Amino acid sequence: MAQLKRHLSLIILMGLGLLLCLPGLEWRTHQTQAVRANYRSAMAPVILVPGSSATQNRFNTLVRVLNTQTKTPHSLLRVEVRTNNQLVYSGTVKKGDRQPFIVIGFQDHADGATNIYKQAAWFAVAFRALQKTYHFNHFSAMGHSNGGLVLTLFLEQALASTGAHADRLMTIASPFNLEETDSRVDTPMFKRLVAGRTHLPQSMVVYSLAGSQSYNGDGIVPFDSVERGKYIFQKQVKSFTQITVSGANANHANLPENQQIVRLIQQDLLD
Amino acid sequence: MIRRTLRLLFPLVLVGSLADFFNRSWLQPTGYYYQTLHVTGWMLRRTRLQQATLLLQTGTLGLASLGAAFLVSYGLVAHATTKASDRFLAGGLAVLGIQFLNVDPATLQVNRPLGWLAMNTGLGGLAIGLIVGLMVGQLYCLGIQRWPHPGDDLVRPLTLGGIGLLLESGLSVLWLMRTTLGVPLKLGAWLKAPLTLTTGWGQLFRFSVLNGLLTWVGMLNPVTSLTKQSVLATQNLAEVLATGKWHILHPLIAPTLLTPYANMGGTGMTLGLLVAIFLVRRNLVQRQVGWLSALLVFSNFNAPLLVGLPVIWSPLLGIPFLLAPLACLALSSLCLALRWVPASAYPLLVGTPGPLMSFLGTNGALSALVLALVNLALSTAIYYPFVKWAALVERQSAKGGDDAWLS
Repeated sequence: MAQLKRHLSLIILMGLGLLLCLPGLEWRTHQTQAVRANYRSAMAPVILVPGSSATQNRFNTLVRVLNTQTKTPHSLLRVEVRTNNQLVYSGTVKKGDRQPFIVIGFQDHADGATNIYKQAAWFAVAFRALQKTYHFNHFSAMGHSNGGLVLTLFLEQALASTGAHADRLMTIASPFNLEETDSRVDTPMFKRLVAGRTHLPQSMVVYSLAGSQSYNGDGIVPFDSVERGKYIFQKQVKSFTQITVSGANANHANLPENQQIVRLIQQDLLD
Repeated sequence: MIRRTLRLLFPLVLVGSLADFFNRSWLQPTGYYYQTLHVTGWMLRRTRLQQATLLLQTGTLGLASLGAAFLVSYGLVAHATTKASDRFLAGGLAVLGIQFLNVDPATLQVNRPLGWLAMNTGLGGLAIGLIVGLMVGQLYCLGIQRWPHPGDDLVRPLTLGGIGLLLESGLSVLWLMRTTLGVPLKLGAWLKAPLTLTTGWGQLFRFSVLNGLLTWVGMLNPVTSLTKQSVLATQNLAEVLATGKWHILHPLIAPTLLTPYANMGGTGMTLGLLVAIFLVRRNLVQRQVGWLSALLVFSNFNAPLLVGLPVIWSPLLGIPFLLAPLACLALSSLCLALRWVPASAYPLLVGTPGPLMSFLGTNGALSALVLALVNLALSTAIYYPFVKWAALVERQSAKGGDDAWLS
C-alpha cells in the first residue's frame, strides 16, 4: 500500500499518457486513408493552357518574363497533344524544380465549342501522362481565353479520377458564355459548365481576370461572358476573385503579356 | 538569478504554450486531436478560437522575452544597489534594447510611422531576452561601480539611463542598417548550414546536438524541419504510397529516425525528464512544474518544462538534455541497422503523444512502439541522477532564500 502511494503520481502520469494515446490508437485504422488524402507531392507544377489558335509556344515570353522577376527561375516543358492522343514534348523539367511551368497545347487548336470539349479530353490524356512521369499529385493552372474553359471542363469532369488536387486556378479572359453578347442568352457551353460546377474541388482558389479595352470587353470577349464565371465558381470553391485590368496590353490577345497580369500571376499563382 | 527569472516567466510560457498546443493540435488540420477526434464535426467557431489562441500565444510568449530582459537586468543591478530607481531603469533599458532591435527596417525613414514589431519574438526570443538583459545589466552595474555615491537618488539613473538610451539607439540604427543587407538571413543560414544535408549517422548525431544546444540557450523553437529534409521525407512517403511496400529511400534523416524515436516530449527527449521527476523524491517544486507541464510534454511541447525547472542555461540538466537523445538515437540506429524496427515514413500529426510517434509513423509497427518505450526508459535512466542532483540544489537554494533581489 505504501509502495502504491509512493508511486501514485507516476501511475496517474502514465494513465494520462495512455488516455492521450487512445484517440490515436482508435484512429490508426483510418490512418493510411488520411495520409493518402493529405499527401502532397514535393512537385506542384503550374500548368498553362493557351487559347484557341495558339500553340504550346504561346507562353514562351510570359515564362521568360516571370523567370526574370522571380527569385528562383522555373523550367519550362511544352507538351503538344496530337489528335491521336500522342504527346510531343519539348523543353525540360529540371531536377529539383518543385514548380515547373508545363504548357499543354493541342495540335487541333481551332476555335468552337465542340473542339473545346475535345481539347478538354486531350488535356486529361496529357495530364495523366505527366502525372505518371513526374509523380505530382497537386498543381496550379492558368488558362488564357478558351484555355480557361478547357481547364474548367477538365476540373469538373476528369480531375477526380486522377486523384490530383488543384490548388489554384487563374483564367484570363475566359469566355464562360463564349462570344455571346446578349446577356439573356445562355450558351450550351455555359449550361454545361454550370451543371458540372458541383464537381469542382472545394479547396481550390480561383482568380478570373478580364481585360478592358472598351467598356464592353477586351476587343473579342464580352465582359458579361467573363463575369459569368461567378455562376460557376462562386460558392463552389474556396475563394473566387474577379479582377479587371485596363491600360496598355489590355486587349484579348495581349493579356498574358500585360504587366499587371504578369504581376498577378507572380503574386497569386506562384509560391 | 537566471533560474529565478525563468521561474517567474513560467506562467507566461505555460499559458502561451497551452494556447500554441490548442491551436496546432486541436484547431489545425495537421493536428493530432483535429484528426483523431474529428474536430470539424463538433467544434463551433473554430476560426474565432484560432484567432483568440493566436492572440494569447503571441502576447504571452512575446511578453516572456521582454520579461526575461527586464528581470535579468533588474536582478543584476539589484545585487549592486538597493536603489529602486536604478533597478527599474536597468530593467527598462533592457526591454528597450530588444524593442529598438525589433523594428521593421524598411519603415526606419523620416516622415514615416515606425513599424514596431513589438511582441512577435515568440519562444525563440527568450534567448535574446536573457542575453540582452545580461548585457544591459552588466553595463549598468559597471556604471554603478564607477559612480557608487551619487548626490541624490535621481542623478545617477538619469545620467546612466540617458547614456544607455543613446548607446542603444545608435547600435540599433547600425544593426537595422545592416539588417537591410540581410545580416539575419546570413546568420540563420550560417546556423543551419551544418543541418542542411542531414543524411547519414554522423549528420543525424550532429543535428541532435546542435538542435539541443540551440534549445538549451533559450531558442525554444529551433530548427526542426528543413526544406531538404522535408523533400526527402516526402520522397519516402511517395515511395511507400506508390509501391504499397514499406521501402524507405532515405532512412537516415531526422523525420524518419530522430523525431519519432529520440524526440519524445520534444527536443532533448524530455518525456524521460518528466518521468524522472516523478521517480525522484523530495522535489516538490520540480513536481509542481512537472504536473503543470505534463499534458504539454506528452504532446511534445516542452517549453514550460524547460523554463520552469529550468533546463535552459542549467549546466546540470543540460548534460542529460544533450545525452538522452543521443543515446536513444544510437540505440534506434542500431535497431534500424539490424532491421528490428522500420524507419518512420508517415507524417506525424502535431501533438501526437511521444510514445505513439514511432508507432503511427511506421503505420502501426509494434516493434517501433516497443523501441519507443525502451528509449523512454533509457532516457529516464539518464535523466534520473541529474534530476535528483538538481532537486538537492533546489532545496539548498530555497534555504538560502535567493528571492531577496525581488524585494
